[in-house]
Amino acid sequence: MADKIKNSAVVALAALFIGGFALWSLLQPDAAESVAERRPLAQLPELSAESVLSGAFMTDFERYTLDQFPLRDAFRTVKACTALYAMGQKDNNGLYVVDGYVSKLDYPLDTASVDYAASRLQFVYDRYLAGRDMDVYLAVIPDKNAFMAAENGYPAFDYDELCDRVRSETAFARFIDIAPDLELADYYRTDTHWRQESITDVAAHLLAAMGAEADAPDYTVREADAPFYGTYAGQSALPLAPDALRYLESDTLARCTVYDYETAREIPVYALEQAAGKDPYALFLSGSKSLLTIQNPDAETDRRLILFRDSFGSSLAPLLVAGYKEITLVDIRYIAPAILDRFLSFEDQDVLFLYSASILNNSETMK
Amino acid sequence: MLFSSIPFLYYFLPCVVLLYFIVPKRAKNTVLLLSSLFFYGWGEPRYLLFMLVSIAQGYGFGLLIEKYRAKKRSKWFLTASVLFSLGLLGYCKYADFFVENFNALTGLSVPLLGIALPIGISFYTFQILSYTVDVYRGTVPAQRNIIRLALYIAMFPQLIAGPIVRYADIESQLGDRTHTLEGAAYGVRRFVLGLSKKVLLANVLGALVEAFKATESPSVLYVWLYAAAYTLQVYFDFSGYSDMAIGLGRIFGFRFSENFDHPYVSRSITEFWRRWHISLGTWFRDYLYIPLGGNRVGRARWLRNILIVWMATGLWHGAAWTFVFWGLWFAALLMLEKLWLLPRLEKYRPLGHVYTLFFVLLGFVLFDASSLSGAGATIAALFGGAGLPAVTAESLYMLRSYCVVLAVSAVAATTLPQHLARMAERRPPLRTALRVAEPAALLVLLAVCTAFLIDGSFNPFLYFRF
Repeated sequence: MADKIKNSAVVALAALFIGGFALWSLLQPDAAESVAERRPLAQLPELSAESVLSGAFMTDFERYTLDQFPLRDAFRTVKACTALYAMGQKDNNGLYVVDGYVSKLDYPLDTASVDYAASRLQFVYDRYLAGRDMDVYLAVIPDKNAFMAAENGYPAFDYDELCDRVRSETAFARFIDIAPDLELADYYRTDTHWRQESITDVAAHLLAAMGAEADAPDYTVREADAPFYGTYAGQSALPLAPDALRYLESDTLARCTVYDYETAREIPVYALEQAAGKDPYALFLSGSKSLLTIQNPDAETDRRLILFRDSFGSSLAPLLVAGYKEITLVDIRYIAPAILDRFLSFEDQDVLFLYSASILNNSETMK
Repeated sequence: MLFSSIPFLYYFLPCVVLLYFIVPKRAKNTVLLLSSLFFYGWGEPRYLLFMLVSIAQGYGFGLLIEKYRAKKRSKWFLTASVLFSLGLLGYCKYADFFVENFNALTGLSVPLLGIALPIGISFYTFQILSYTVDVYRGTVPAQRNIIRLALYIAMFPQLIAGPIVRYADIESQLGDRTHTLEGAAYGVRRFVLGLSKKVLLANVLGALVEAFKATESPSVLYVWLYAAAYTLQVYFDFSGYSDMAIGLGRIFGFRFSENFDHPYVSRSITEFWRRWHISLGTWFRDYLYIPLGGNRVGRARWLRNILIVWMATGLWHGAAWTFVFWGLWFAALLMLEKLWLLPRLEKYRPLGHVYTLFFVLLGFVLFDASSLSGAGATIAALFGGAGLPAVTAESLYMLRSYCVVLAVSAVAATTLPQHLARMAERRPPLRTALRVAEPAALLVLLAVCTAFLIDGSFNPFLYFRF
């Protein structure tokens, strides 16, 4: 009798689970995108004789069923917790957690990638800067792994080795070592980026190194209304507490204007509505933008800066305004450097190449 | 279609089970056959034709062999059927291997045919071969109902990675089988346990194997981790599939033979092959080794028979010299055991375990290698012969990251879990606890496997390529 009850329970539970989720899958409307993973979700593929015979329909259908499975995010959380806490794995899909900070494994040092990145910077120098009386600087932002990987037994590329390599390939630039100004607490726990409120010393160091010292502005720390779940929060699928997304305001910044070459419009320094969007870090200078110019009407100098940067530069650039009348931000992941002279003139500006170590080690997106 | 995929688990399987159990008894075989053809066609629509032609020739020659039983023509029909089956397998699986070697020997440049291997062809070809041979021998009657024969050949639970089912074993079940709650519960249990072996152990170990293959900082430790992980991965991958096949079969009222019996507890290679891929080992024994004379011949012919059987076993796994040498590797070990070593291994049992695991592990390094030189380099690296450092930061990290999975897999590969379950069954309070916990535990495993599938990438079964 006891066996019969057990057998009934086994069959009934399995049937309910599989049948229930099968029905749920069929009945629920398809979602267009995953907020947690920040990507569009696969949609039901088109059925045709050609797609079936080639096998493309089956492949796409499998991707569709994975993406549209009910409670997908909850299942991803179950998987992440099982892998990390039940199976004792040190990372889940390359993401690991130390003291509440999430980071992504990035190793080994990809010398080809670093060399490629350096070659793109060299291209910019040769094309626009060589032979002109312009001061050129280079700074490399350490990623979170530099502060939390090695001491916790996680493999990571050597930040110093990467710096040495990129410096040796970019002898035209004076290197500014900002690593001593940074520590793990200067980064978000759930995101790859640094916190703007924690990098005023980095900005001061850079300004000083470029001879553009300015009195430390009187910043007011503001906090975005929405909780900040960084890119690693969604990718890791772990139940993590959100970060607070803070930004620094000052009277000068309030008067600064930002010109966006893509839309030919002015945009705010802080796009506050982005804090509740898919990419909250886009609060800083509206996120991914190929070409921007910040004008500082309060500047007591005529100095201008061209900042070749990645996304880390979005939160740093407003802090450099104190030392410059104009800062132009160029992201050569979104604009080919060969056409920059259509928009910019290279004359007597300072030039700072500011890149995160992880971008240099994964530089395939640089044009 | 993979068993360990969302389309199978949450689309195909519930539809087939529902349809199978609501149709009248006379239509159940048709439902299973059509769903099996859909299952096969899902992955390989173009190769459905190969399968249908194979079914047709097996059916037709089976009837002809029986019709002319004890006459010379019967032998001719058997020969034709065997040649057709082996010819198709040879064309699809071995043609390019022979062309490559022919080119290498002659210096010519005969173009390769570039034929993609139809999934499961090695398995269903051997099932057809055993059927026609058994009809010829008179051990089974020819099947006159083509749906039943087609179902025997194409039944989706065991279609693409075995076990290699003998027609004699399920002949009666094709015509009349019972469906019980106990059988269904057993089937669900076996299926979920097999799915867990594949998804939670084999796939996770596979990630370690892939990481090793991609690393730029290998070490001796890393090579050992790889070899151990791959040895366990192959077992849990393949035995997991067999568990799922046996479980699904039982849900539909079929009883398939066991294919694995804890091979890594073996004390000799001889014992290992009695426990590993049992359906293939017994197939070669019954349809090749014994017809060649088995061990009832002189020593030289006996050793020749062993060599032939193991070379064929190696070749069955793949058209590459690594597989041939993998088979010969075991042939050499089996000969050594039969001629000298076996009594000594019986005497020193712990030594037998170590010896068996060691040579099986080396064998799987050869099995996984893309070339003989690659296998040699990896085996040399295991013993520090490649100038690798003892450890690297990455290999230490991998050890820390995978030690729990490796330990759990090693224990799960033994008979210990089974012993513990039996012990618990003998003690009433534990037995009651087990009965209560089992349905919940299976549900949790199913949910966790689903979670891994949703989060994971495509992980085909290793044995699909054979």
